[in-house]
Amino acid sequence: MNRLTHLPTLRIRPESRRDIHYRGKAHPAAAGDTIATALYANGVRIFGRSLKYHRPRGLYSLDGECSNTTMSVDGVPNVRTETVPAKAGMTVKAQNVVGSAERDLLGFMDALSFAMPAGFYYKTLHKPAPVWPLAINRIRKQAGLGAIAPGFKITGVFDELYPRADVCVVGGGPAGMCAALASAEAGLRVILLEARPWLGGFFDYRAAAHPGGGLLYERARELADQVEKAPTIRVFTSAAMTGAYHDNLITAVQQGGDDDPFDSRYLQIRAGAMVAATGCIERPLLFENNEKPGVMQVGCAHRLARTWGLMPGEKIAFSVGHDLGLEAALDLAELGGRVVCVADIREDGQDPALAAALADRRIPYLKGWVAAEAQGRPTLKRAIFSTITGTVQKEFSCDVLVASAGFTPVTGPLDTAGARLAYDNHTGFFLPTDLPPKTHAGGRIMGLQDPLSIETSGRLAGLRAAVDCGKRVDDAVRESETALASQPGPERGSKLVTAPVKGKKTFICFDEDATLKNVRQAMAQGFDVPELIKRFTAAGTGPGQGGIPGHNLPLFVAQTTASPDKHPRPTTVRAPLVPPLMAEYAGTNHDMSKRTPVHDSQAAAGKMERIAVWNRARVFSKSKGARAEIENVRTNVGMLDASTLGKFRIFGPDAVKALQRVYAGDMTKIPSNRMKYAAMCNDDGCLLDDGVIVKQGENDFYFTASTGRAGQTVEWFRFHTKYENWDFHLVNLTDAYGVINLAGPNARKVLEKVADADVSNDAFPFMGYREFTVNKTILVRAMRLGFVGELSYEFHVPSSWMQALWDILAEAGAEFGIQNFGLEAQNTLRMEKGHVIIGSESEQRTNLLDLGLGFLWDRNKPEAKTVGAVALRQTEDQKGRLKLVGFKMTEPADRPPKDGSPIVDDRIRGYVCTARYSHTLDMPVGMALVEDELTPEGTRLAIFEDGCEGNLIHGEIVPMPFYDPDGKRMRM
Amino acid sequence: MSLTLTCPICGERNGYEFRYGGEDKGPRPDRAGLTPEQWCDYVHMNSCVAGVQKEWWFHRDGCGAWFTTHRDTRTGLETDGPDSAAQK
Repeated sequence: MNRLTHLPTLRIRPESRRDIHYRGKAHPAAAGDTIATALYANGVRIFGRSLKYHRPRGLYSLDGECSNTTMSVDGVPNVRTETVPAKAGMTVKAQNVVGSAERDLLGFMDALSFAMPAGFYYKTLHKPAPVWPLAINRIRKQAGLGAIAPGFKITGVFDELYPRADVCVVGGGPAGMCAALASAEAGLRVILLEARPWLGGFFDYRAAAHPGGGLLYERARELADQVEKAPTIRVFTSAAMTGAYHDNLITAVQQGGDDDPFDSRYLQIRAGAMVAATGCIERPLLFENNEKPGVMQVGCAHRLARTWGLMPGEKIAFSVGHDLGLEAALDLAELGGRVVCVADIREDGQDPALAAALADRRIPYLKGWVAAEAQGRPTLKRAIFSTITGTVQKEFSCDVLVASAGFTPVTGPLDTAGARLAYDNHTGFFLPTDLPPKTHAGGRIMGLQDPLSIETSGRLAGLRAAVDCGKRVDDAVRESETALASQPGPERGSKLVTAPVKGKKTFICFDEDATLKNVRQAMAQGFDVPELIKRFTAAGTGPGQGGIPGHNLPLFVAQTTASPDKHPRPTTVRAPLVPPLMAEYAGTNHDMSKRTPVHDSQAAAGKMERIAVWNRARVFSKSKGARAEIENVRTNVGMLDASTLGKFRIFGPDAVKALQRVYAGDMTKIPSNRMKYAAMCNDDGCLLDDGVIVKQGENDFYFTASTGRAGQTVEWFRFHTKYENWDFHLVNLTDAYGVINLAGPNARKVLEKVADADVSNDAFPFMGYREFTVNKTILVRAMRLGFVGELSYEFHVPSSWMQALWDILAEAGAEFGIQNFGLEAQNTLRMEKGHVIIGSESEQRTNLLDLGLGFLWDRNKPEAKTVGAVALRQTEDQKGRLKLVGFKMTEPADRPPKDGSPIVDDRIRGYVCTARYSHTLDMPVGMALVEDELTPEGTRLAIFEDGCEGNLIHGEIVPMPFYDPDGKRMRM
Repeated sequence: MSLTLTCPICGERNGYEFRYGGEDKGPRPDRAGLTPEQWCDYVHMNSCVAGVQKEWWFHRDGCGAWFTTHRDTRTGLETDGPDSAAQK
């Protein structure tokens, strides 16, 4: 299509050409084109098919107010092509079509609309019952618009930004720009959000005269220039607001343009005050086939010509209810378009100059007339017009019908901010009656249509926002108020909702294919408020979020209902106001994780696994269940990177008091050079964490916490001592220190070779703590303990020394055949020893006593208000609690049950926590939580395994630990 | 998150940085004469005020302070700054 060139209002740069791909062909687009305007320029009229009836749909609003032009772009479904810029190489596909948008094999669905009345989904095909599963399967395949390929992964740069501002102005039209300038002049930092790619709003494309002199688009550019020069105004264009929340938190999603380093950007703005200057969208005119491709809104047709240089059609008919429509008809005629007729809903009240200009151009002007039906397949060929009363009809041949009943203020920003709206009879608008604190509105959203009033009310809103931010501009506020009072006030809006038609194919909501007939059906069934009718007919629940039906539905219901309270009530608007992508909320998604100081050597040798924040070595050997690693630890010597362990220092005059508060044991009794094993409970006595504590000096302790708990340890200490204001310091050394666990009967032989100290069993016994150097260089904190149940040492060293120590030990152990072991092996090793892992063998109901760890609680310690002590005391003799037991399998005796299997008799009596085949013992063993009656040794357990179909398997309670019950191997 | 909180050490910060610590129930009760019911009430029961509530917050992604402040549970917004008692 030839573009109109040399228009001063154009927003495209045809010299910068790029191709987008649609239906196997490259379609040229200009810089500044959206996907929709680029396709329109290439002659595409049908953009997709509708949800239920597969009716052809085309360009309608150009602002993404309905799903007519949502398409699949580069595999992303439901892209609003009217608002997304055309970029080189994009591949665009029509949605909800079998075949093509022009020839859709499911087009016959339109003829079946009688079978799909309002609420059919809730009512039909439910009986007889076996039909429903078949029907639902079919319906679900049919339902929905865009489809996403399984396994599709979105690409692109999804940025996020969290700016602060004194005033956030939503809407970059004349009112918004005046508001931003007024706030900025008062010395405030302003953020201006505009959904379109440029500032100017509804001045931007209009060549009508501005009452203050010049033309409207010139005024828009003048204001935009001032805004861009204002140093304290930050402008975000292509940024559509998605919601307003308490305390003026405003969210928006910004589309990236050609020069932006992102594809889209999530904005979360914290503002001192908000100004809503979002203006109006058009209220659709309701008539038969009012969504046929070729029918479009005034702003759509006018902007196609003025902004993108595209004359919307060959023969253009108009059916409008406001002067803006008359102005557009004249302007299109001025630009060379052929306007076949202009029907005006209003009998009188028009601007006489516009009516005279239409007469000058010999354009048939029908006052009190309205479009009644659009005809033609698949796109518009002719339109039937009738008088408002429906008595006389006329037919006009046309390929574009510009139809608009009136205006609808875009109240989404005010709605989500919590404003109350009420119907205003004069304007026909839902106007704010009660604005939340620090929230203001200006411009067309208040019903104003006069350019000067719009600018003044915007300025006033900006000044009021400045007052909210503590600026003394009361004089300026009064000045603006006086000026506004002298300027034209809100204009009377058109009341007509629907042309005199039956409404079988008169669509009130395009997204959901909801017709006037559907709404009447819903009302006949007793639904009387728009909010309920909306849900029953689904009108306004589509991706356009009520942009099309949001105003018409309440008006239609109010006019049709017999209730004395005929005031239209708006339906609720909720965030997000425009549909964002999940990827936009996810943002840049830095997958943050921690690496241990010896990560590289671990990753080179074994298989790593991400567990919570850490990357840890899962397994090194190829044998099943890490059998080789387990046997090596049991019979030789192995090495584990245990750096993820939580490590802390607590010191200060009140350190012992804090330890007494959170640990169940008596922390006044920590011997020198020995570790104390200690447990932390919550207030219910449940085990939260366990670890060891060593005394390093007077009121100075070093302690460990389990990996998963390390992050909360400081918080926990401080929370439970928060009323006391005790004097102690707590330092998290988790990342500052690394840990190597050297375990196995040959561990001492390895250590002896490198340690500069006597590490014999007498000099460094079980549970001992020593500090010594390795190779006369590396100072290690050595602990002798046995999580895996063998002779075992833990070495705590500064992270920077970790790899060196690891290499020294590996070299020293080479002659014994030292091997790495990973988490998989550790899990079986500790299970054979009956050592619990919190969360695996404990749950919300199990306390320290239930787990057989009562020895960690000192019931006679001095009163310290110890966390959990009260609960332990109260539950000490309680019956019916779940207790931790060990069991072996009897039938079958060769395999463990699945973790989590319930233990049953005539009811559920417990469940299996962890069960594994123990190669050391050569039988399957496990731990289970069972009711206390079942705990005696030898009790037979019946286990219901998932999928066993009633064939229970059996185990038998045996004492724990399963391996080395006397703990001799740890002490050798 | 629309909530902002005033940390006694760091000043007004985004609510994402904090962790909620429950309503202020006073110091832990003494063990002497404590019935199981009283204990259960202290640990588990809340007043659930519809209005201004004094409550504990932890500046997790900040200075690590526990402090009390006042928040209107109906709007979810802080009403006064943190308590001077907690600033010690």
